[in-house]
Amino acid sequence: MPFKTTRMRIVCCVISILASTCLLAQQAVTGKILGKTDKIPVAFATVQVKGKNVATQTNADGVFTITVPSGSSVLVISVVGYDKLEVPVGGRSNLGEILLTTNTSSLNEIVVTGYTAQKKKDITGSVAIVNVKDMKAIPSGSPEQMLQGQASGVTIITSGAPGGPTNVFVRGVTSFGNTDPLYIVDGVPGGLHDLNSNDIESLQVLKDAGAASIYGVRGSNGVVVITTKRGKAGRSTISYDAYYGTQRPLPGNPFHLLNSQELANALWKADIQSGQVDTLTGLPVSTQYGKGAQPVLPDYITPGGAHEGDPSVNPALYNVDYSKGAIYQITKANKQGTNWFHELFRPAPIQSHTLSMSGGSEKSTYYFSLGYFNQQGTLLETYLKRYSAKINTTFNVKKNIRVGENAYWWFKNNPQIDYFSENVINYDYREQPIIPVYDIKGNFAGTNGPELGNSLNPVATQLRTHNNRGYNWDMFGNVWGEVDFLKHFMIRTSFGGTVDNGYNYQYSYHTYEDAENNGSNGFTESANYNSYYTWTNTLTYSNTFGKHNVKVLGGTEAIRYYGRFLTGSRINYFTDDPSLQVLSAGDPKGATNASFVYQAALSSYFGRVDYAYNDRYLFAATVRRDGASPFGTDRKYGVFPAFSVGWLISDEDFMRSVSWVNYLKLRGSWGKMGSYANVPPANAYTLYSAGAGSSYYDINGTSTSLALGFYNSQIGSNVTGWEEDKITNVGIDAVILNNKLDLSLEYYQKNINGLLFPDQTNALVGGAARPNVNIGNVKNNGLDFSATYHAMIGRDLKLNSTLILTSYNSQVVSIPGAGGYFETGGTRIGNFVRNAVGHPISAFYGYKVIGYFKDDNDVSKSPTQADAAPGRFKYADVNNSGAINDSDRVFYGNPNPKFTYGLTFNATYKNFDATIVFYGSYGNDAVNYTRYWTDFWASFQGNKSKNLLYDSWTPTNLNPKAPILENASTFSTNTVPNSFYKESASFFKCRSLIIGYTLPEAPLKRLGMDRLRFYVQAANLFTITKYTGLDPELSGNTSAFGIDFGNYPNNQRSYYVGVSLGF
Amino acid sequence: MKKGIKSKYGLFIILFVAFIGLLYACGKKFLDRPPVGVYQPSTMANKAGVEGLLIGAYSLLDGQGGAGGSWDAAASNWVWGGVCSDDAHKGSDPGDQPDIVSLMTWSESATNSYNLAKWQTCYDGVQRANETLRIMRLAKDLTPADTMQISGEARFLRGHYHFELKKVYGRVPYVDETITYEAGNWRVPNDVDIWPKIEADFLYAMTNLQAKGYQGSVGRANKYAAEAFLAKAYMFEHKYTDAMPLLSDLVANGQTAAGVKYGLVDKFNDNFNAATKNNKESVFAVQNSVNDGSTAANANAGDVLNFSYDPSAPVSCCGFYQPSFSLANSFKTDPVTGYPMPTTFNNTDIKNDQGLKSDDAFTPDNTITLDPRLDWTVGRRGIPFLDWGVNPGYLYVRNQASGGPYTPIKNAPYASQIGALTDKSSWTAGYTALNVNLIRFADVLLWAAECKVEANDLDSAQYFVNLVRSRAANPAGFVHKYIDDANPQGGFSNTPAANYFIKPYAAGYFTTQGQDAARTLVRFERKLELAMEGHRFFDLVRYGTADVELNAYVKHEVTSGYNLLKGATFVKGKAEYFAIPQSEIDVSTINGKKTLTQNPGY
Repeated sequence: MPFKTTRMRIVCCVISILASTCLLAQQAVTGKILGKTDKIPVAFATVQVKGKNVATQTNADGVFTITVPSGSSVLVISVVGYDKLEVPVGGRSNLGEILLTTNTSSLNEIVVTGYTAQKKKDITGSVAIVNVKDMKAIPSGSPEQMLQGQASGVTIITSGAPGGPTNVFVRGVTSFGNTDPLYIVDGVPGGLHDLNSNDIESLQVLKDAGAASIYGVRGSNGVVVITTKRGKAGRSTISYDAYYGTQRPLPGNPFHLLNSQELANALWKADIQSGQVDTLTGLPVSTQYGKGAQPVLPDYITPGGAHEGDPSVNPALYNVDYSKGAIYQITKANKQGTNWFHELFRPAPIQSHTLSMSGGSEKSTYYFSLGYFNQQGTLLETYLKRYSAKINTTFNVKKNIRVGENAYWWFKNNPQIDYFSENVINYDYREQPIIPVYDIKGNFAGTNGPELGNSLNPVATQLRTHNNRGYNWDMFGNVWGEVDFLKHFMIRTSFGGTVDNGYNYQYSYHTYEDAENNGSNGFTESANYNSYYTWTNTLTYSNTFGKHNVKVLGGTEAIRYYGRFLTGSRINYFTDDPSLQVLSAGDPKGATNASFVYQAALSSYFGRVDYAYNDRYLFAATVRRDGASPFGTDRKYGVFPAFSVGWLISDEDFMRSVSWVNYLKLRGSWGKMGSYANVPPANAYTLYSAGAGSSYYDINGTSTSLALGFYNSQIGSNVTGWEEDKITNVGIDAVILNNKLDLSLEYYQKNINGLLFPDQTNALVGGAARPNVNIGNVKNNGLDFSATYHAMIGRDLKLNSTLILTSYNSQVVSIPGAGGYFETGGTRIGNFVRNAVGHPISAFYGYKVIGYFKDDNDVSKSPTQADAAPGRFKYADVNNSGAINDSDRVFYGNPNPKFTYGLTFNATYKNFDATIVFYGSYGNDAVNYTRYWTDFWASFQGNKSKNLLYDSWTPTNLNPKAPILENASTFSTNTVPNSFYKESASFFKCRSLIIGYTLPEAPLKRLGMDRLRFYVQAANLFTITKYTGLDPELSGNTSAFGIDFGNYPNNQRSYYVGVSLGF
Repeated sequence: MKKGIKSKYGLFIILFVAFIGLLYACGKKFLDRPPVGVYQPSTMANKAGVEGLLIGAYSLLDGQGGAGGSWDAAASNWVWGGVCSDDAHKGSDPGDQPDIVSLMTWSESATNSYNLAKWQTCYDGVQRANETLRIMRLAKDLTPADTMQISGEARFLRGHYHFELKKVYGRVPYVDETITYEAGNWRVPNDVDIWPKIEADFLYAMTNLQAKGYQGSVGRANKYAAEAFLAKAYMFEHKYTDAMPLLSDLVANGQTAAGVKYGLVDKFNDNFNAATKNNKESVFAVQNSVNDGSTAANANAGDVLNFSYDPSAPVSCCGFYQPSFSLANSFKTDPVTGYPMPTTFNNTDIKNDQGLKSDDAFTPDNTITLDPRLDWTVGRRGIPFLDWGVNPGYLYVRNQASGGPYTPIKNAPYASQIGALTDKSSWTAGYTALNVNLIRFADVLLWAAECKVEANDLDSAQYFVNLVRSRAANPAGFVHKYIDDANPQGGFSNTPAANYFIKPYAAGYFTTQGQDAARTLVRFERKLELAMEGHRFFDLVRYGTADVELNAYVKHEVTSGYNLLKGATFVKGKAEYFAIPQSEIDVSTINGKKTLTQNPGY
């Protein structure tokens, strides 16, 4: 096959070369096109000989050369953002500078899409074009987070953690695994997470098959195409953009927790209501709080319940050093109560600086930038420090030959906490208030006394990570060359990729202050590197025949991945001295090490045809054939076709009279895409491993040494193929009311077949990992809507407002393997999520709480329910069987929003500007799992909620906020997932408010400056929600999100001052 | 003209050549990216590979490192065998490990995570044994003797893992080496009794294995281990006459894999000490090891939660598996005869410190006579806890109100062993090198006694029981007071820690009491000797008395203040077997019909 294609292409080219020799007898005309106001060269402007099929484009310097056939005398110049201009040639060979006036409509804007660029008005696929300026109104270290609410059809759930994780769903959840879109940066697959947003020139999201299926097996999750800034020929410019701000933790008592006395009172109430009392006195017994009618706060919590003057609190007994004998800690009670939230979360600074230089000549252009971003998290010892550099250059070697490169380099230190399970924020509500942060000698205090629970001191946990590091550095970019030939052809080759290194080490302490202490100290050091290269070659042909406009693109691409990981650890360091934190200083007896390697490859052919008739009937077709190494021999190759059509109704004669419609386009597409993100590279192979913990065994009974053992670690599958995504899209784009209102509305239906997931078999197959196979189908449909209104009011007031609306509905259509479901979203009490046929992805599943048992009579006349008792939950008997059991569980919640929306308002008045950005999510539920810990007395001895003490069930409080305060853990309270945890998580956030002032030009010129703007900004001014946890915005794993373990809040207020200046 | 074109398009031609080169790079070879750093089937099909796979099958005996969980798939069966019986309470905070609560009250749903973990781990073990057999047949360098040895051990392990499944879940499918993912035949129904297949595996192992463990490895199954397991299977099937010849042979000729003749060790507690493991009493045990480069993964991780909770103690986690009031009471002895009191033991609780803090005064009742095995089985206030110090009661217990006053001991390490026979490289210090005894010789002797009772040979039955009681009565094996309470590692005095009084039965006692009484005494002896070793629940089910005994137990414990059992009922005909995991049943469907059937009552 490959050879045949090549041969055809050679033949084609040879014919073209021969043909071109007979087209040489005309006049060449050159010129340079500049913007009228800024005098900046206009690149990619189309220059066409009026009435002929002869056209060219300006280069990066705005320069063009066109061959004008004899008899023609007028050139038509058109480019996005400027009014069309006709220029008479008048026999000249050099037209000099041609000035274009900017226009208000963006329809002629050139938009970079898959392997090519198109005029916005000619696009037939679904492409969300992001307003990069609006996007930057969100202060964040990661452009992913900025993208929230800025692109219709893109749902983004993010967290407040510096450099934290973000869920990005393009048109709903398209997979049970990886749903990240493909990010193409300057033509090469890359990432958005660590780009410097100031380097971004444009950003588009390709959403349907018409736009994205040219990316074939990588296109299913959508494609985000990012173009970074390039230099422009002409004057060199230097810009500096910076802001500095402070982030404020959520105020007050955001987990609604008790203080020391209240918690002791709750203990008394629980013991009494559970009958767990001294049989003689009828009163609770407590080491800490005594045995009286009321609990009495002790002076010391370690030793438990000690009072001032007790011999046991003699500081001479104190010891927290294991090498000096048994631990004897002395800790005073914090009688007022430690506010652990505010001990853990502190106001934190954030700053960002970017210095960029750009410029160039007709021969070459450059863009160079340096970035520094430093966000200290409000959570102690979390931060993102990133240094970045970007160098983009272009060289015009010959008139028809261009070469260039894009290079991006970053280095960051970004320690991460665990986000989607119990983490340090969890300790905030599990560490009792009576525990102070430090003991009598200034060492960490904790739970190592009676009745203090088993949480960890969150401040200690974080401060002890101070010397840990999580470094990453990454080099990313490509070199490329382009040759125009035979007028209509362009060949381009690009070789690019990334080398990404991670390096981290962490020390863990032999803790002394906790109920459950680490057995020893230890140190782990790890390194990994990931690399890939992409070699892309494309050939483009474009021509116009009368009213027929044709553009053909063909290409090949080879991608190769390779990575290694290495880790080692030792324990029993005789000192915690940070300068000795290297592997070799630890005990060789507890040493472990490991490494692994992966590799994969992808090779592809693709093609695209764009055809336009009379500039108003548009047709495009793409096809891609991908071969991917992770797939089995039977399914290695996939073909992904797509078709799209468009009709520019507003150009039809019958529309000419409708003056309020400036532009109206109807379009539709159908096609296939794929995803191979969820198949491990070695999926096709049956493998055996040897693991110290999993297959070695002390067969000789030595107690300290192992014999080599193997086990079947993975079963291979040769029938596994890509996830296939068939998507149908219809859309309508309009510009109306004298170019003041842009509207776009789209409807899509997306059928995702063969979702990759480990095969569902029973345990009889053994423990080897099941291969990922194509087992599930999901159906998504939804509406994307965007509207932009721009207007001038009077001479000085300019308004611009945008509404972006995204809705999707993801429904599981099939999960083979009989059960038709799989569960996930694991917690201490089981899985909260069941992904099942006929239900949305990540739906919450469990018993439905319909109220509380009122009294014994209510218990006896209700369906039989284990542990039923007054004050406990009454579950719905869904199947009316008269008994509550597994089959009474129901789907009671859905974390997928009905829709999300972004609203951006810009206004400029004279030299002032203001921007306000809102973001909202409507109709999504959350599981507030923090309430498992705080709303049930018996869920570990941590802190409890005000609701539990003051508004829990009693015979006189029958509509409480929490069940009866008792020391029992039951099916009817806190041992099974149920709808008690469900809360509405709809929210409306004011993400950003900016007020800026740009200094007038004249005085700046005297200072040698082109531009100077100051601004003040407030982020997350308010969040409107009914949700009772920290933040209703809850990211998570794709197949289980919307569960609140105490997530790093993304709604903390922050205030900034910023400056933007240019020379 | 042509020449001109050539130079003009020079770069283009170069690019074009590169283009063609790439097309070749995109060929089949480019996509050939086999995995690195792992073995493929061809690497395993030889003697070393097959022997390694066999070790891999052994390595799941501890329930760790396979498909299931960790403590929820413990080799000791502390949850099913212990907490679900009258041996122990769950312990810890009431809400900690909630899935144990529903098991303990015999009310678990089919989605219980513990039942799933145990199930998955056992079938993982089964398939590891099967994989050894499958790959063995592909290997070309094995002698017939090798094949006999490897297949004998593999089938022994397969029998054991099925046995575990059988006793926990009752109706289980039997999976032999023909069942694989590739063959697509893994939806094996559970509609036939698998005892014959379990017997066949053990019989094969018994016939093909040598008396001494292969290559002298003490951890291997030998001929006698297989024989003991076969006898155990017969006991579960009530085939006493089939069991007895095997038991007799084991008593007369049995030896450990190290070649030592079976016998009872002099000191009862040497069975529960990592320093004296693999002794002559160890018929077959799970070998646990520490500080071996596995970050504690080969330690006795199944019992890692089952320690005291005093932060100053060497092991301070996590307060589970607390012996019950009833269990402690069982060790009362008749002050005149020194015999146990199987019918009256629970009339009153032994004096305990429930409701008392550690700084409240408390002295154990020294007037009452006790079986010395009590204080090697149940940690109680005022008694030396190994070499850790005098048990302070309340402080050792995580949540007295929800777990009771007692602490487990049999799985606990000595303070002097911390770091050497325990592993500190994980999150808690309770990773020990203690073996889990699957069958120890006392077990064999007491089965023999059972068989003799059923054969109405009561003198012989009493003989076997007395072997066990005499060992327990060895004063050297009692818990003794410290020489100095302030220095518990400074050694023990000769003063017993409590008023221990135990006697073997006087000659002819069983015969005078009659068969029923003898049966009760044999069973009660098993309870005392093997308490907290994960056998009790399965024994009660085997006897057919689980409902009577456990419902009485619930009543007693609730009266004594253990509220978590309130309302629990052992329903005869249901609770004998635990729920088969629902997800396993669901996924077993062929053409809309489920091949696995749930146990009755779930």
